Amino acid sequence: MAVGHVDVLVGVPTLNNAPTIRHVVKAVHQAFSRYFPRDRTVLINSDGGSDDGTPHLVRNASADDTETVTVSHSLRTVHRISTPYHGLPGKGNAIRQIMTAADLTQARAVVVLNADVTGITAEGVASLIRPVRDQQYDYVAPVYQRHPLEGPLVTQLVRPLMRATYGWQMREPLAPEFGCSSRFVTHCLEQDVWERELGRVGIDLWVTAEALAGGFRCCQASLSPYPAASSRSPFGELFEQVVESAFECLERHAPYWLGRNGSEPVPLANPLPTQNVEAPAIDGSRLTEAFVKDLQNLQSVLEYILSGETLARLERLAEKQGARLRYPDALWVSTVYEFLLAHRSGMMRREHVVQALAPLYLGRTGSFVRQYASATEAEIDEALESLSREFERSKPDLIQRWNNSPR
Amino acid sequence: MAQMIANAIRQAGTNFVESLAVFLPRMVTTLAIIIVGWLIAMLLRTLVRGLAGWVRINVAAERFGVAPLLRTADLPPADVLLGAIVFWLVWLGFLLSGIDVLGFPSVQGLLASFWAFVPRLLLAVAILVIGFVLANFAWRATLLAAINARVPSPRVLSGAVRWLILILTGAMALEQIAVARTVVLTAFAIAFGALSLAVAIAFGIGGGSIAKRILEHQFPEQQRSSADEISHL
Repeated sequence: MAVGHVDVLVGVPTLNNAPTIRHVVKAVHQAFSRYFPRDRTVLINSDGGSDDGTPHLVRNASADDTETVTVSHSLRTVHRISTPYHGLPGKGNAIRQIMTAADLTQARAVVVLNADVTGITAEGVASLIRPVRDQQYDYVAPVYQRHPLEGPLVTQLVRPLMRATYGWQMREPLAPEFGCSSRFVTHCLEQDVWERELGRVGIDLWVTAEALAGGFRCCQASLSPYPAASSRSPFGELFEQVVESAFECLERHAPYWLGRNGSEPVPLANPLPTQNVEAPAIDGSRLTEAFVKDLQNLQSVLEYILSGETLARLERLAEKQGARLRYPDALWVSTVYEFLLAHRSGMMRREHVVQALAPLYLGRTGSFVRQYASATEAEIDEALESLSREFERSKPDLIQRWNNSPR
Repeated sequence: MAQMIANAIRQAGTNFVESLAVFLPRMVTTLAIIIVGWLIAMLLRTLVRGLAGWVRINVAAERFGVAPLLRTADLPPADVLLGAIVFWLVWLGFLLSGIDVLGFPSVQGLLASFWAFVPRLLLAVAILVIGFVLANFAWRATLLAAINARVPSPRVLSGAVRWLILILTGAMALEQIAVARTVVLTAFAIAFGALSLAVAIAFGIGGGSIAKRILEHQFPEQQRSSADEISHL
């Protein structure tokens, strides 16, 4: 189908998303019809080989099957293209295909959505499009409405680490959804990341990092509640992919972040909702109990990664406090930075460095959850802000060791 | 009588002087070979250490787990050790060449045997290095995977993997340099068989509950770890 030039392109990478895809397509059509009726719009579904009929559902999802859209048809044709992507499996290939399509159609605003959700709304889709289309932003990251104890991998590790290094306060650096401009699309397609492991499994984080390090105009937009995905990788696999991607991004963008001091807030394109969200049920005690055992077992590996001082502090912590331990912010920051330096130095296989961090992360998460289990959202937000500031305070030491460490 | 004694002494003296005339040049040649060999060995040691430093062999040794084993065995760092091996091989070669020049019947052929032994020795060293690297990699991979998968006794499991590889490597290296070949092979076969049998009996009879726990961990849909119960993103 010849589409020609378009104003707004929405891409949805899919792989066996039959239960949720109709909802996503419906939200996109509603957004097109309600908020951008005069724009040339296209929805692109890049499918990784679903065997549950996902592409068929996308093709057959008519704009007329929703009441809202029936009363508010778009003035222009709404194209839907469903196309299989080839090559290595992974979301990276799908995003590359969507970006290539956006480049070919010279789309002014591009949005990538997560197909594995049911909470996405037309307003949410529009909030990712508008800042690019109307305010000339190059990159829009979502801000999800969720409890501060949710997503500890983001709140305890990726968010404060990215904030301290890149110098931008991005709430959701790992978001699977984003909006961007044609300028950013062209820039991304020119990078050499697509054939690498980072492009295959760490594309969400890389896109955010590339926007920050590339000097693009970034903003954040409030979206629906965080998507409760129906399928997620097991913890070990997920942790390895996320942390490996974060460390890899930091290595790629070192010339940028080594020269940054402090951090600046990323502007919000629309106000954040204020309603409270239910706290997640996490058993912190089980995590800290496991941490005490894991620390003993890991000692022979950790002594190559951590400095003697950090390892001794961790051992004292486990020995004196046992399962009731409190993993202090400063010690957690030292741990993360020393793992980052070990990952860079190549003193052992990189996946081993990342795998060795997983039990420590679980210990820190368990400790934090136990400490703030009965705290208010504001108190937890303040604790997370304090952690981010600790990451920033220790950055000069990281820079010094980064510059002095062998590579 | 006195004349005979004097003749004998003169003859012995003549023989001694003749032998000395033959031996002294050989001795000087031997000393020259040994000294020149020592200088060449020293030079090669410096070159090898410099080259090893340039290719960052100590970093590689650290990365592949050879360095910790060297430290445990109270051996010098990898670059120094490599230089020392080259030094001793070269100097020993020159030393034996020098001794060969002296023409002692008892050491005849020693040089040929030495040079025939060197390739086997180098191969054995290579096998040991590869074995150490492999053992350390397997140990660390097993330890980390076992801890993250919450398998019971991860240190015992990973240690067993490491020692199994090290024992196998040691046996292969000794086999290569043909040191007590029969004894090594027999000892290894007996030890390996006994170990396998002991593990099988211990696991089958005494470790039923542990085996049950391990098997239960292999079915995540039935039993998920606390880490998997959290939405980390």
